[in-house]
Amino acid sequence: MSPNDQAESAEPSDEASDELIHRIGKLTRMLRENMRELGLDKEVEKAAEAIPDARDRLHYVGAMTEQAAERALNAVDRAQPVQDKLSERAQSLDTRWAQWFAEPQELEDARALVRDTRSYLGEVPDMTSDTGKELLEIMMAQDFQDLTGQVIKKMMDVIREIEQQLVQVLIDSMPEADARETMQRKAEDQWESENNRRNEELLNGPQVKDDEPETVSDQDQVDDLLDDLGF
Amino acid sequence: MADKNMSFLVIDDFPTMRRIVRSLLKELGFTNVEEAEDGQDALNKMRAGNFEFVVSDWNMPNLDGLEMLKEMREDDALKDLPVLMVTAEAKKENIIAAAQAGANGYVVKPFTAATLEEKLNKIFDKLGK
Repeated sequence: MSPNDQAESAEPSDEASDELIHRIGKLTRMLRENMRELGLDKEVEKAAEAIPDARDRLHYVGAMTEQAAERALNAVDRAQPVQDKLSERAQSLDTRWAQWFAEPQELEDARALVRDTRSYLGEVPDMTSDTGKELLEIMMAQDFQDLTGQVIKKMMDVIREIEQQLVQVLIDSMPEADARETMQRKAEDQWESENNRRNEELLNGPQVKDDEPETVSDQDQVDDLLDDLGF
Repeated sequence: MADKNMSFLVIDDFPTMRRIVRSLLKELGFTNVEEAEDGQDALNKMRAGNFEFVVSDWNMPNLDGLEMLKEMREDDALKDLPVLMVTAEAKKENIIAAAQAGANGYVVKPFTAATLEEKLNKIFDKLGK
């Protein structure tokens, strides 16, 4: 269809739109065949396959950070009333003692004050041990930083891989052979420094999905496995 | 009861996790704790110092925990040093590989304070510490 044809009829005729569809179809087929010939379809496929994995990992990071924040906030919510009680009771006893020193009362009143003070002192270690437990809980909640950090590092590998696959597609589809070779060399030099890979079969980091095979889901399963093996 | 002066080396590439493990050990009464950030750093420190217990991560740059463990077991000075692995690696083949390489215990992350204490005590009992 030439620009003239378009200018003549603002509404394309049925015939013209049929032809357009036909041409787009032909182009798409050509592109697909060329890609297959060059092996590019495989590269694009590999890049696309990495995306669901990255999505699982992002989901894991989101869930872990939320869980950690909740754990810490819950611990604070539990510790605060204990702290308040500790402080209120000390203040009230302090006020009573101040009054007694200002104006010493009968022995009976003083006895009650001493009794209440002793009972408070007896309870303090229990209460501080409760808040101590909550502080420990807040600390343990920070383990998400290590776990999500490992998953994010893995994701950066995945993203780098996608980038490399896509750059490869661009290079392979460059029309000029000289330019293509130069680009290929440049890209490979860069990738070599990036892909400083070790044997990563046993380095998977945290489990991001619940249903992974051949993977333990808690410490009990670790202990059982080691027991079974006689370790 | 283990000696509270026992010297620990805690190895993890994440400073947050090293702090957590250090605090848990302190909670259990062990205050003689040093840190290393990967397997290589740890081996250097172990060879220079006099450590009695190692708590190590697996997945670390430079030298990972398993490779470090294998090197320790080949080294006469370090072959009997107890090693507790504390790692997020949860594949069965990982646990088996660690046990075969001579790990004394395996704790999978995320873990609780109680789990760490239990595994430490189990190793102390076995070694008669």
